[in-house]
Amino acid sequence: MGIIKINIPAYMQSFTNNMEVVEVNGSTVGECLNHLVKQFPGMKKQLFSKNGNLFENIIISVNGESAYPEQLAKPVKEGDELNIVLIVGGG
Amino acid sequence: MLTTNELERYDRQIMIKGFGEEGQEKLKRARVIIAGGGGLSSPSSIYLAAAGVGMIRIVDNDKVELSNLNRQVLHWDKDIGRRKVDSAAEKLKKLNEGVEIEAIDEMITEANVSQLVAGFDLVVDAMDNLPTRYLLNKAALEKDIPFFHGAVYGFEGRAMTIIPGKTACLECVYHGTTTPEEKFPVIGVTPAIIGCIQAAEVIKYIVGIGELLTNRLLICDGLNLKFTELKVKKDPNCKHCGHLGGKE
Repeated sequence: MGIIKINIPAYMQSFTNNMEVVEVNGSTVGECLNHLVKQFPGMKKQLFSKNGNLFENIIISVNGESAYPEQLAKPVKEGDELNIVLIVGGG
Repeated sequence: MLTTNELERYDRQIMIKGFGEEGQEKLKRARVIIAGGGGLSSPSSIYLAAAGVGMIRIVDNDKVELSNLNRQVLHWDKDIGRRKVDSAAEKLKKLNEGVEIEAIDEMITEANVSQLVAGFDLVVDAMDNLPTRYLLNKAALEKDIPFFHGAVYGFEGRAMTIIPGKTACLECVYHGTTTPEEKFPVIGVTPAIIGCIQAAEVIKYIVGIGELLTNRLLICDGLNLKFTELKVKKDPNCKHCGHLGGKE
């Protein structure tokens, strides 16, 4: 299990002490997000619903590619980069 | 055939390599429907009209409100209470008399979406909600019309171009996900950026130059002014476009 970088969107950086990039450990997207939440508990409500599921309006990308349909189960490796993409609908 | 006036009016863009008089004639013949008459529609319609797109249909059934004016730059103080499509058509006609503007004061629904987009060469998604975007996505796919998606939230923007049967569609990317239909935060510069990107994509597609924003969702983080992309693939099991085949 190596270091994976998670890029934090600007509107969530207030929950990561204004850090744009957080380094985490994990072998899946889910483990990486859990490690992110462990470091910054405020991120939990930004990412997960009360029953622990990733919000539907969030896409996680691994090295620029959507992790769908595996999402949390998608394997990751050292050096991978995750992005949190919010689905937006305003116009 | 371009007139002497048109040759002068569009001289600077005709000069662009690969554009030429032929490209301008293509724009003149093009029929574009813009779904929505608000924040994204304002910049996209302004730049498409200025570029000389021959016919633009704008569909929206809202009236102009004071709270629209921070971003919907086609509508001014004097327009409060007017139908948005009338306000938009008036400004666009004044901007470029050579462009035909059609104002349709209707809400886009499952019942009328197919009829609204029929006969048009391109569909611009300038809506303010995801469910209507999916209706447009599906209708555009069914009628084999390229679809130019844009969406905003605060300083965040998204854009993607969809070529039916060839590239990932909106459903391939979002899988029918919706967001709460509530008042959303937004500042005018965000739809300005995204609407201009949509207009640029439309112009490039019509003229046939450049590389389109296909199979990649552009993510604009206006607060940090960073552009990233989400690579996406055409989903063979997509509810909207899976039956159309094409490349993954």
